[in-house]
Amino acid sequence: MAQKKEVLRVKNLTKKYAQKEVLKDASFSVDHGEIKVLIGPSGAGKSTLLQCTNFLVIPDRGRIWLEDREILYTKKKELHEYRQKVGMIFQDFNLFDHLTALGNVEIGLVRVKKMNKQEARERAVAELERVGLRDHVAKYPAQLSGGQKQRVSIARALAMDPSVMLLDEPTSALDPELISEVLAVIRALGEEGMTMIIATHQIGFASDLASEIIFMEDGAIVEAGPPAKILSQAECARTREFCAKLTSLY
Amino acid sequence: MTEYLIAIQDALPYLLRGALVTIALVLCALILGLILGVLLAVGQVYGNKAVRALVGVYVWFFRGVPLLVLLFLFYFGLFSLLEINISAFTAAVIVLGLISAAYQSQIFRAGILSLPEGQFKAARALGMSDTRAVLFVILPQALRLSIPGWSNEYSIVLKDSAVAYALGVAEVMARAHFVASRTYQHLPLYFTAGVIFLVLTYLGTKSLRLLEEKVRIPGYSR
Repeated sequence: MAQKKEVLRVKNLTKKYAQKEVLKDASFSVDHGEIKVLIGPSGAGKSTLLQCTNFLVIPDRGRIWLEDREILYTKKKELHEYRQKVGMIFQDFNLFDHLTALGNVEIGLVRVKKMNKQEARERAVAELERVGLRDHVAKYPAQLSGGQKQRVSIARALAMDPSVMLLDEPTSALDPELISEVLAVIRALGEEGMTMIIATHQIGFASDLASEIIFMEDGAIVEAGPPAKILSQAECARTREFCAKLTSLY
Repeated sequence: MTEYLIAIQDALPYLLRGALVTIALVLCALILGLILGVLLAVGQVYGNKAVRALVGVYVWFFRGVPLLVLLFLFYFGLFSLLEINISAFTAAVIVLGLISAAYQSQIFRAGILSLPEGQFKAARALGMSDTRAVLFVILPQALRLSIPGWSNEYSIVLKDSAVAYALGVAEVMARAHFVASRTYQHLPLYFTAGVIFLVLTYLGTKSLRLLEEKVRIPGYSR
C-alpha cells in the first residue's frame, strides 16, 4: 500500500438478463496510473463489466468505490458526479452527430461542468489538439474517419478530467489502417499516467501496455496477472488456449 | 366568366383577411401541438409505465374522435360546463392543438426511436442527467429528423382548420360560405377559398423544406 493509490475498486458485480447471468461476481481494483486489459471471447461479459462499472447498466448486485468512496448510484447527483470522473470510450464512438468535433468535446464542459463558453472552447480545442485533431475541430462526425471519430470521443472524455477511463473495445469497429492512430493516442495517455481499463483483442498492444491482464469467460473473471504470465504461462487451460489464438491472430 | 371574376375580385380582400385568421389559427395550434407533442413523445419513450399508459390514452382519444365532435364537445360542452368563457378562435386553437399534439407526438417518438441507443448512453456517460441528455442530445437530433413528417402534419392542420367555421371562427371557409350564401356565387367563391388553401400549403411546406435544408447536419445523409 506504500505509494500505490487505489483509484477504483469493484466488488462482486453481478448482472442477470432474463435467466442468464452475464456477469458473475466480478471483482477487481485498479491503482493510479495502472492499465488493466480485459480479454476474453465475445459474450464473455467484458462490455457488461465496463458498463456496470459506470452504471450505464445497473448491476443487480455489487459495490463500487472511487478513490475510497463508495458510490451510491441510486442518488442521482452522486451518480452524475461519479460518471464525470469515469471516462467512457465506446466501440462505435457514439459521437453526437449533430455537433462538430469541437461541440462534442465542449458539451460536457458547458452542460455538465457549467463552464463558461469561452473557457470550454479553449479547453476543447486543447483536448482535440492532444489527440491530433487541431485541423478538424469544425467537422461533423459524418465528415470524419472512424479513427478520427474515436479520437474525438477520447478528447470528449479527457475534457472531463476523469480519474479513470474505461475503453470498451476502442478499435474493434475500425479499419485495420486506422487502428494504429487510435492505439497511439491510448499509448500516449498511458505514458502520461492515465489510469485505464481497456477491453481489447489487440493482444500485442495489451501486453506492451498492461500492468495486468484480466481474462474473462462466461461472465466471470477467470484469471488475472501480469501480461507475461497470462500470455505464456497462464494457470487456466482455457486462458492459455484463448491467448494462443489471439497471439496467432494479432 | 367575367361574372365569376368580378365575384372573386369583390370578395378577395375579405377572404384574404380570413386567410390571416387561418394562418394565426394554424400557427397557434401547431405551436401548442409542438410543445405538448414533444412532452408526450418524451413521456412515451422515457416515462415509467403509468406515464406511458397515460400518453397512450391521450393519443388514442385525440386520434380517435372526429375533429367536429371534439370542437363541439369542448366549445359547447366542456368549456361552457366549466364556465370558461373563451372565444371561438381560442377554442379552435385549443382543440386543433390538442389533436395535433397527439399526431405530432408520434412523429417525434419515431424520431427519438430512430436515433442509435448509444447517443443517450454517451450523454449519460458524460455525467448528464436524463433531462439534459434529452434536451441537448436527443431532441436536437430527433426534431431535425421529424421535419418531413411535421410538414405533413402542417398541411393536415391547415386543412382541418376549415372546420373551425362550424364554431363561427371567421377564417377562409367561413367567409367564403358567408359571401356565397348571400351572392349565390358558390363556384368562384369556394374555388378561391380552395386556391387560398393550396397557396398556404405550398408556402408552408416550402418553408419547412428550406428549414430542413438549413438545419441539415453536414455530411449526414438521411
